[in-house]
Amino acid sequence: MQTSPVRTADGSASGRQDGSFVTDARDRTGLRDTLSILGVWLLLIIATTVVRPDFLSTQTLLAVTFTMSISGILAVAQALVVISGGLLDLSLPVSLTLSAWATVTALNNDLPTWAAIFIGILSGAAWGALNGLIVVFGKLNPIIVTLAMGFGGLAVLLLLFLSAQIPSDSDLRRFGLGRFLGLPNVFWPMVIVIVVAGLALSFTRWGRRLKAVGGNPQAARTRGISLPKTRFFVFVGAGAVAGLAGLCFAAVNPSFTPASGADFQLNVIAAVILAGISLSGGKGNLLLLLLSVGFLSTIPTSIAFFGLAPGWSLVLQGALLILAVGIDGYRLKRSAR
Amino acid sequence: MTQLTGLGRSFTRGIAGLAAVGLLLTGCSSGSPAASAPASGAAAKFTVGFAVGGQPNADWQKLQGDVAASLAAARGWGYVQLSNDNSEATATTNADIFIQKKVNIVMTFNGQPAANPVMAKKYKDAGIPVVTFDIAQPGWYFVGVDNASAGTAGGTKLGELAKSKWNCKVDMVISAEGTSSGQINTWRTGNARDAVKTVCPDIPAAAYVSYEADGNLTTSLKNAPGVFAAHPNAKNILVVGINDQAVVGALQAATQLGRDGSIMGWGQDGGLITGKNVDPNLVGSVMYFLESYPADAFKIADQLAAGNAPAVKDTGDNAAVQIKPCPVTKDQAAAIPSIEARVTQLGAAPAGTTAYSLFCKA
Amino acid sequence: MTAPALPTVEVSPVSWGRRLIEKFNGPVGSIGVTLVATLVIGLAMAGPMFVSPSNINIVGVSVAVPLIVAVMASFALLAGVVDLSIGSMVGFGAVIFNQLVAIGMNAWLVAAITIVVGVLVGLINALVIVGYGAEPLAVTLGMLTLLRGLSHVIVVNAPPSTLIEPLYDVTQGSIGGFPTLLLIGVGVTLIAAGVVSKTRIGRKIQAVGGDDRAATRAGISASKVRVTALVLSSVGAAIGGILYVGQLGSASNSLGFGLEFQIYAALMIGGYSITRGGVGNPIGGLLGLLVVAGITNILNIQFFDPDYLDVIVAVILLVAVLLDRVRGGDSFE
Repeated sequence: MQTSPVRTADGSASGRQDGSFVTDARDRTGLRDTLSILGVWLLLIIATTVVRPDFLSTQTLLAVTFTMSISGILAVAQALVVISGGLLDLSLPVSLTLSAWATVTALNNDLPTWAAIFIGILSGAAWGALNGLIVVFGKLNPIIVTLAMGFGGLAVLLLLFLSAQIPSDSDLRRFGLGRFLGLPNVFWPMVIVIVVAGLALSFTRWGRRLKAVGGNPQAARTRGISLPKTRFFVFVGAGAVAGLAGLCFAAVNPSFTPASGADFQLNVIAAVILAGISLSGGKGNLLLLLLSVGFLSTIPTSIAFFGLAPGWSLVLQGALLILAVGIDGYRLKRSAR
Repeated sequence: MTQLTGLGRSFTRGIAGLAAVGLLLTGCSSGSPAASAPASGAAAKFTVGFAVGGQPNADWQKLQGDVAASLAAARGWGYVQLSNDNSEATATTNADIFIQKKVNIVMTFNGQPAANPVMAKKYKDAGIPVVTFDIAQPGWYFVGVDNASAGTAGGTKLGELAKSKWNCKVDMVISAEGTSSGQINTWRTGNARDAVKTVCPDIPAAAYVSYEADGNLTTSLKNAPGVFAAHPNAKNILVVGINDQAVVGALQAATQLGRDGSIMGWGQDGGLITGKNVDPNLVGSVMYFLESYPADAFKIADQLAAGNAPAVKDTGDNAAVQIKPCPVTKDQAAAIPSIEARVTQLGAAPAGTTAYSLFCKA
Repeated sequence: MTAPALPTVEVSPVSWGRRLIEKFNGPVGSIGVTLVATLVIGLAMAGPMFVSPSNINIVGVSVAVPLIVAVMASFALLAGVVDLSIGSMVGFGAVIFNQLVAIGMNAWLVAAITIVVGVLVGLINALVIVGYGAEPLAVTLGMLTLLRGLSHVIVVNAPPSTLIEPLYDVTQGSIGGFPTLLLIGVGVTLIAAGVVSKTRIGRKIQAVGGDDRAATRAGISASKVRVTALVLSSVGAAIGGILYVGQLGSASNSLGFGLEFQIYAALMIGGYSITRGGVGNPIGGLLGLLVVAGITNILNIQFFDPDYLDVIVAVILLVAVLLDRVRGGDSFE
């Protein structure tokens, strides 16, 4: 795979004892990335408002925050894998759906809500662990492993159930229908997950280790970080986060099927890429991820306001992704000169 | 690489061994297991080829296969089942396989009918009669609801409710489309929309809004909020769509955005109108009891097997077996058992019983 | 000015049995073994009918179009770029071809237009990937979404039916018992394999995919190679779309969706890598596709749940990359 950013060993040169890689240049690009995503988002909002002044309303806010909730949590899971150098996890939709199904089955069997939640997150983590085991023990490329596990997992799900429904009188369902501070309930777990994960990445040793493994695995190994252990736990963690997404998914989707999770796949990957999280690993800003998920979730609503056919939403998302990575690459090339 | 040469040699020997074993087994084996007809089947037993739809969001498609399998077993017929995998390419390959297996009749639900003309040519050249569910094709026995009239029936009922409750004062009519289903979508969703227009002609044209629901709740729920946000002043809202999943997706979006104060949705196919968790705003649906279609198809098969091929009636209004759509309100649907229960009950009922007669209490 | 003298190489007469065995060690060899194993299992389970002309026809016809698309896309993989947009390009090409022919335009003209569209798409991909240095996975993912959206915008109602007799005969007909389209596909594969292993162009592509910096130093224009590979990939997909319309008589707005994953899984089973360029032979791709198609066929004619197929393909894919790693391929740390 062609990797564009030239990763030098500079990180270790300026590395501190704890293995952090913060450099001035990176802080500066972080700010610039933030400004460019904010800028494009603002552009979209302004363009829509010009055509439809009633775009700026609580309805739009509700629509956008609702749409971004589940993708946002899943995007964090994907971001963790990518930042740690795991390339991409293509079987997150399976973690999500498995968790949702396990949770709903637990609730339908009259288990208490906390137990169902626990089972849900555990299922997601278990699937992540399975992926992690294969990657680590086989020393295989995660993209291929998770691609295969995505296929196989979907088939297994189809053999497990055809459709699942959450009991409409369950606490989880009531949670999915409620609001907090004027915004949908499911929005807040997403915010919490992004904030916690973002802070953890920047300020805890675990976070720095994750970035180290992603940024420069050889240097990390010489510093004593166990690559297999870190990689394995990243997959487990990402699976658990995807499990949490599955809980929210079950809360808002009264009925779903094994293939329902597949919808999120491309959107989540696009969000991660737009947030400037390089597929080579090592760097990633979750605040930017929040912005990119929000931006991508605004597009379908904007398209509805423009009155365009829904297919244009996909066209716009695709075009923007190409544009964004093109600009990114162009800037990198220019700064490398 | 070269240190594996030794391995390579044993590979060669291994393959030769495997091939020998294979040929030996071929010689000993009497062919395939009981499920499929013997390859050289002219005087073989009557075999049914069944192609299920394979759409991942529709549980009734798998159940259709189960029902058909038991019907064939009850008659002592051969039975081969394939999945169209919701892809016209796979459906075409399946046609080749059925022809190769020399089945006596093919029954199929093909959700991606774009390639039907090509398949019809193949089957015609092979002399195999085909029963198609819900999607008409010239030359194929049509068993199904007239989707067009099902759409109209649902839309009419919804329009009448709007008339009695709101005096036809409707601010928005949402169409939850499933465009990849092509003609079926146009019939169900489009006709429902037109029927609403007929019952309440004074609804302004601008109030009719469409979005892509793709026939499943998750996608519908993802795309619908934008529609509600873009029409912030709409109070009385009607929803029609290609199936219950699409409509409920819109209804759920309304709930999330707090727009469900005065909203009514009428679905199609009855997938989400039975059971304990019916959406409060799904006021009705149109049941076709899709899972029982095979029972009607087998009536045609029985005639063929007896040597009396019935005339080929291949359109929705001139159907070989016209399934009556059963429009039901939510309350009426409460008396209807779940899809699995219906399959069991139909299996236990005397031959020739239709699902409509068993379950349509409307 | 004479060319510099090549260093003399001792060419010992290698017996061709030896060369055959060495071939088994490469990725093409092990996928060949898997294919033979599949054949054996198929024979054991379904009897001689498994290799009957009609069954070969079925497998062949279903494999033909993906094969052609896969072979054209394999050049991109060889050059070290992954093109995820091929599935949607097949669909988009099919939609354009179908819609334009349905309104009465000359089929040849429409085919030319479709291919030009393919070239344009490939050039856009190339511009952003090679020109701006963006991540190929990301760019082609964007293009995938964009093309799918366009297909949805164009096809809203039932797509028209276009049964073009001569095209139908090519795509559904057969020569000497083998499906014409399959023969064309195999022909394309063999030509491609020849190009890859025997010609200088092929070696250039492999060099660029293996180590583009070394290739540049050796005087090869990495950008030109990559641009060509990406354009080939999209054009191949466009042609695939045209052939699908010929085979199926129409094009829904979801045709081709997911095809890229099937193709790349088959290519990887056949020895290609989506993370490093420079490895892989089109014949391996052909064998990979045949293995998957063969197993599908076994499951179909033996009345197994098609969901099991995905599990089996997943397992084979994992085993294939494991074997590749054991054989000395890159291991992921």
